[in-house]
Amino acid sequence: MPRTLTQSNIGGPPPTLPEFPPGGGGGDDRDRPDRGGSRAASITGIIVLMCASSMTFAAFVSAMVVRRGLNNDWHALGLPRILYWNTAILILSSIAIDTGRRLLRRGKRVAFNWFWTVGTLLGSGFLAGQVIAWKQLGERGFYMAGNPSSAFFYVLTWAHAAHVIGALGAVMYVEYCALRYQLGPSRRTMVDVSAIFWHFLDVLWLGIMGLFVFWA
Amino acid sequence: METPALKTKGRSRFFAGLASTDHRAVARLYFFLSLLAVVLGILLSLLMRFHLVFPQAQVGWFAKLWPIGAEGGVMTPELYLSILTLHGTIMVFFVLTLAPLNAFGNLVLPEQIGAKQMAFPRLNLLSFWIAAASFAILLASFMGADGGPLSGWTAYAPLSVVGAIAGPGEGLGQTLWFFSIAAFSVSSLLTAINIIATVIDLRGPGMTLMRMPLTCWNWFVTAILSLLAFPVLLAAGALILLDRLGGTSFFVPAGLLVGDQTIQHSGGSPLLWQHLFWFFGHPEVYIAILPGMGIVSHLIANFSRKPIFGYKAMVWASISIAFLGLLVWGHHMFISGLNPYSAIAFSLLTMTIGVPSALKTLNWIATAWGGSLRFTTAMLFALGFVSVFVTGGLSGLFLGQPQLDAYFHDTYFVVAHFHLVMGIAALFGVFAGTFYWFPLMFGRMLDERLGKLHFYLTFIGAYATFLPMHFAGFAGNPRRYSDFTTFDFLAPSMPLQRWITHSAFCLAAVQLIFLWNLFRSLRRGATAPANPWEATSLEWSESESPVVRGPYEYSLPGEARDFLMQNEESRGY
Repeated sequence: MPRTLTQSNIGGPPPTLPEFPPGGGGGDDRDRPDRGGSRAASITGIIVLMCASSMTFAAFVSAMVVRRGLNNDWHALGLPRILYWNTAILILSSIAIDTGRRLLRRGKRVAFNWFWTVGTLLGSGFLAGQVIAWKQLGERGFYMAGNPSSAFFYVLTWAHAAHVIGALGAVMYVEYCALRYQLGPSRRTMVDVSAIFWHFLDVLWLGIMGLFVFWA
Repeated sequence: METPALKTKGRSRFFAGLASTDHRAVARLYFFLSLLAVVLGILLSLLMRFHLVFPQAQVGWFAKLWPIGAEGGVMTPELYLSILTLHGTIMVFFVLTLAPLNAFGNLVLPEQIGAKQMAFPRLNLLSFWIAAASFAILLASFMGADGGPLSGWTAYAPLSVVGAIAGPGEGLGQTLWFFSIAAFSVSSLLTAINIIATVIDLRGPGMTLMRMPLTCWNWFVTAILSLLAFPVLLAAGALILLDRLGGTSFFVPAGLLVGDQTIQHSGGSPLLWQHLFWFFGHPEVYIAILPGMGIVSHLIANFSRKPIFGYKAMVWASISIAFLGLLVWGHHMFISGLNPYSAIAFSLLTMTIGVPSALKTLNWIATAWGGSLRFTTAMLFALGFVSVFVTGGLSGLFLGQPQLDAYFHDTYFVVAHFHLVMGIAALFGVFAGTFYWFPLMFGRMLDERLGKLHFYLTFIGAYATFLPMHFAGFAGNPRRYSDFTTFDFLAPSMPLQRWITHSAFCLAAVQLIFLWNLFRSLRRGATAPANPWEATSLEWSESESPVVRGPYEYSLPGEARDFLMQNEESRGY
């Protein structure tokens, strides 16, 4: 990757995939022999990872459905208001991150930095908001070991937060590269993959919120 | 035919391989981890078999090893159960999952599809080290001052939840066991992601999905199955750890009394654990066996010098087995108080798996039928796989029916069934793969004479050990009991149990031939030629030409040789 940044190497669309041979896969990364990995493989990898995460949450939710039906000891959880703010913050962070990603494709590097930074800050804000929500629930007497509804709330939100922390690591690494002007075309995959996973966490969170607002 | 010696990457730098991201180096690490695990697993099984026929024997070194669990040298029932737990866990996770999928998948898959590496080499190495850490934690769970966990590899609640009050090893030991399994799940997920991305995106030019060797298809399908099953185990493990450590009540019912104490949990369900566990546990059976099926398909075609019979059917059979395998977890719970209507549904679906399984078996036989068979050790193990898979599979038809399962479920019939169909069959697949790909791993050949001796004795030993267990099961001999001598109704089955123990010791002793062969051949084995088995797939090819044909083009008329490699143009026509 050239170190000197010019308009031609800081912007533009992500690198195009090599022409697919008839019927085959992308083949080895021909420009990086023996390294493995390619843009297509990274995108597939993140999709597959999202499937794995979805299965984990599906298992939690199915356990929740069964557990609720087992006994009459289920007490609905009054959700702290801050969770609605957190939802808004997470969606806004997703919008900021995606706007940045689109701007980068058009070569608008400085604007990308701004939007990505806002997205990262909002993402961190979401985590801080979650901590406040857990604290508020604790103050109202809803602990992990209490009612099954609160137990499942903590399980699902902790699992989601663990995902957010992992994703924030990736988003912050992109941020680090961006601020050092090291985000050339060869690192676009990282931007796209982080953004895709960040959106996935949005959807996951909306699902969790929906579950607790309308059902649990 | 003079052929140049095979080049292996980093053969002389084994220890550097501990941190190498090269797929062959990672494969070797998995191979040796599994080897260590299987040796330990076998030794544990011998301890169990010894105890079953000599329950009152005083063994000096038992007392030294387990001052509490074997006070005075006599093994307590709790120690027996903890050995049973460790044996099952080691064999299912660290042998039957790691060796066929992770070791051989890493070794062969990228090369067979024409990729130079796995899609994420660093992630691949990380998966290995997480698996190794998981193994270390598992062993630590057994080293606890109060012994190892007692709840079997299925860790049924509430025994696995309520803590030290349930018995020695149920305190810290069981907690560590769950951490080990959680780590293993993460490792398996990372491996699955790697394999799926590699197959989808890194296939070389011309390698269409329908030109992939059946080995790759089966690793691919197995990885998808891992991807769907292990997250559920991970989730269930997280919930049960919260029950143990966080005071929640997911799996412990209200008002549970253990000993003379009430357990402070409310309203959970042990059945919920069984559902979650078996949603993982049944696919796990196929995670263990599907790679073996791929290896066997590949090898039978090679050593019969014939194209595989029904390639597409074999692919679809693997996919169907995996799909149906996700829907039949309830057949492990027929006697757990399952609704009889769901039992019927699970039973019907279970029977349906017999169709693709039978199809595979028939295709293996049809492939070998009329072929120019080469009875190498690898081929013998492949044929042995077909034999034990059919034998073990047939007893599955009995167990898949709720009425019969009600009787058989807690007997040795089940032990016989799963050891043959999943344990021995999968291990035969591993042995076949080891003999076949040893040259690829280490550049040398295993000794065929010792290999054949090992095969015949193992084949006889496996049947001699596990076939009689069916009869013990018919007689109502319960499994998981540590001592049959105190029950009058079991007295008639004791000679059978003694026979099984003797066979098991012989079977284990025979494995020393394999170990001798393995370690001797590492240094002194004959140097491997470039394509020792005259195979068609790309792992033996030194050319990087695009793939132009399917994987099983043997005995083509008009050709100079009886096979064409996948990337080789025809010269004959």
